[in-house]
Amino acid sequence: MLSKRLYDWIDLRIGAREIVKKELTGYLLPKKINEWYSLGSVLMVIFGLQIATGMLLMVYYVPDPEKAFKSITFIMNEVPYGWLIRLCHAVGSNMMVAVLLLHMFSVLMMGSYKSPRELNWLTGFILFCLIQGISLTGYLAPWSQLSFWATTVATNSAAAIPVIGPYLVEFMRGGKLVGPPTLGRFFALHVAVLPAVIAALVGAHLFLLKRTGISTPPSGVQQSRNPWPVESYRYESHPGGIPFFPNYALQDLTSISVYFAVFLAVVFFAPNFLFTPDAFVPANPFQTPAHIKPEWYFLANYQTLKIFPSELLGLSVQVAAMTLLALLPFLDRSPERNPLKRPLFLVCSIGGILIWIGLTIWGHYS
Amino acid sequence: MENDSRRKFLGVCLAGATVAAAAAAGYPVIRYLAPKSGKVGTDKLVFATSDIPDGEAKFFEYAGTSAVLVKTNAGALLALSAVCTHMGCIVQWEKDKQDFLCPCHAGHYSPEGEVLSGPPPKPLAKIPFTVADGKITVG
Amino acid sequence: MTLLPQHTRFRRRATFGALIFTLLAGPQAATAATAAAGEQPESACIQCHETLPDRLGAPVKLWRASIHAENGISCNACHGGDAKDAADAMNRTRGFLGAPKEAEVPAFCGRCHPGVMKDYLLSAHGKALGKGGPNCVTCHGNHRVVKASLELINEKNCSRCHSFERARTIRAAMQQTESYVVGIDARIAGFQAEGVDTDRLGKGLFAIRNRFHTLFHEVDVSLVKRESARIDAELGKLDLELKAIEDARARRRVVGGFVVTGLLLLAWLFHLLKKTYD
Repeated sequence: MLSKRLYDWIDLRIGAREIVKKELTGYLLPKKINEWYSLGSVLMVIFGLQIATGMLLMVYYVPDPEKAFKSITFIMNEVPYGWLIRLCHAVGSNMMVAVLLLHMFSVLMMGSYKSPRELNWLTGFILFCLIQGISLTGYLAPWSQLSFWATTVATNSAAAIPVIGPYLVEFMRGGKLVGPPTLGRFFALHVAVLPAVIAALVGAHLFLLKRTGISTPPSGVQQSRNPWPVESYRYESHPGGIPFFPNYALQDLTSISVYFAVFLAVVFFAPNFLFTPDAFVPANPFQTPAHIKPEWYFLANYQTLKIFPSELLGLSVQVAAMTLLALLPFLDRSPERNPLKRPLFLVCSIGGILIWIGLTIWGHYS
Repeated sequence: MENDSRRKFLGVCLAGATVAAAAAAGYPVIRYLAPKSGKVGTDKLVFATSDIPDGEAKFFEYAGTSAVLVKTNAGALLALSAVCTHMGCIVQWEKDKQDFLCPCHAGHYSPEGEVLSGPPPKPLAKIPFTVADGKITVG
Repeated sequence: MTLLPQHTRFRRRATFGALIFTLLAGPQAATAATAAAGEQPESACIQCHETLPDRLGAPVKLWRASIHAENGISCNACHGGDAKDAADAMNRTRGFLGAPKEAEVPAFCGRCHPGVMKDYLLSAHGKALGKGGPNCVTCHGNHRVVKASLELINEKNCSRCHSFERARTIRAAMQQTESYVVGIDARIAGFQAEGVDTDRLGKGLFAIRNRFHTLFHEVDVSLVKRESARIDAELGKLDLELKAIEDARARRRVVGGFVVTGLLLLAWLFHLLKKTYD
């Protein structure tokens, strides 16, 4: 057969069979691996789709305050299937944050962040921050009332930082207020700087994953304690485990298909659930619309700023919470990974998540 | 083995479904990127005869490409494509010599669009027009 | 040559003014974003009159509920004067006009609504101005001026001066067109809020509505009927365009249904194939 001869030809030159054996069919995963482990693959597909739709949008989008809103209106109304590409990009960015939160939740619950995987957690946490950053910068691009004023509110929160705060806000905006300079720098960050940094960090995250080996899920196994510390570097292998290809690759594909079904259901049936009517009014720097709110994933931060008597206090609490989350694997050093055997951890983490959800809902209705 | 035939059947189904999914994803992208079709070129353009004095040429966009109206010193009026038939540069009107020069490779055309010298393989395409009541209608 | 430097000077001043504004507005504008905004800076007129009793204070409250307040048209837009200078706000040399006499009312309102003034003056109502006939505020009210609608032609209003019969016929003739206009307006607004480019449709409706509103001061029944029929035909064209958008959206949902079903099917196939390896 032609395909087999082609494969032989390539194999002879680059040793393709060896790579496949090592990285795919011979790459063994824990026997008790579950669906949650496929969220990383789903995220990579989402990121890829964001890049593809983003590139397509750049064909017609003009990053100029005079033309940005019109170009988006043109994409949404005139260009064939422009609405689809644009909605996929806008809905996709929200889905990316949502799936990222689920991914972090599963890692948290299965204790996979624990030693020796501190670096996996840390790179993942930085990726989480960068994804929020890329969403924030992209939010300004349509230059609508919603994007303009949500950006004003979001950048303004940095003003609470003592001494450098006001200058920091001005630096981020490229001026005293959000304006044409802001669009220029946000656009550059959104389409060039952040995608490159995120791609690099995804690479680092995957490298760490491959070097350390996949963690064993703690549920349903006898030994849920990490065999750590050890004296020297050791790859966590899973002899007798299930091969990545084809077994787990098919799980990845199943999850990706389910994700796409949910994602496109939003795109086709509830696209406006993300937009308020202000999203379709061009930005007016002299008129703040009533009830302007940041995106849903910033609502908790927004509400925290509001409930504390001083903005500095509110900001400090957020910084403390984020630092705690970033350094979690360094603070939580017990080898036990099964959450059911760690009541204190379970209470704290579920409590934290409930507080976050509560603040988000409160922020939404406040 | 039962599993084998099952696997084969599912594989065929999935291959078909994947092709369908790829086509469904590709079609909007191609339509999104496709140039605007239709309408271009059916529009007629109207100029006042006074717009073009004797010996002058007027360049304009017509049917999505460049065209030129020229009135020779002798008073003859012509409408031509301004795209050189050699490599697609835009010809220039040389008022003093009363001919068209393509600046890319020095192709010369007469005001009627005939090749006088240089590499162009074909004359410039003629564009239909009518003159009535001091108005030139191109198209 | 003389025009150019002047022009540049003006431009420079304008830019300088904008800069000053930005500097002054900086901190407020940023904090305003966090508070629910939309509040106008209070004028000297309102600050003072709001605290005054009865006749001098009442207009502020009435105005707050008006279409003028909604659109940021404050006291001085009609009554003149300087709203920024409390001490001298009501100085005639600052353009203060005060309240118009009865016969001056149409001209007073007509400074901003010239078309409506013309329609009114040509009507039987306008011709009776100063001879006991109604002026603008008789029907539209003063200060609490609400958006003009057919509701204003009602028995209570009209029967103050004459029988309601003819007015009732006119109103009935316009009622259908009015609800057509209101319906199309709501549909356009709905699409606008969903990101459909309704600019052209909105402008089309605006023109038709204006044409329709010129009938509001007309008292010739047959003319009203003829014009209304023509306007209905124009509205019909907008209706068709809106239907086309609605149809396109419905088609998208059908396609979306197929796409989502297809993907769920794909997920199921992948799952089945995966199970063969378990």
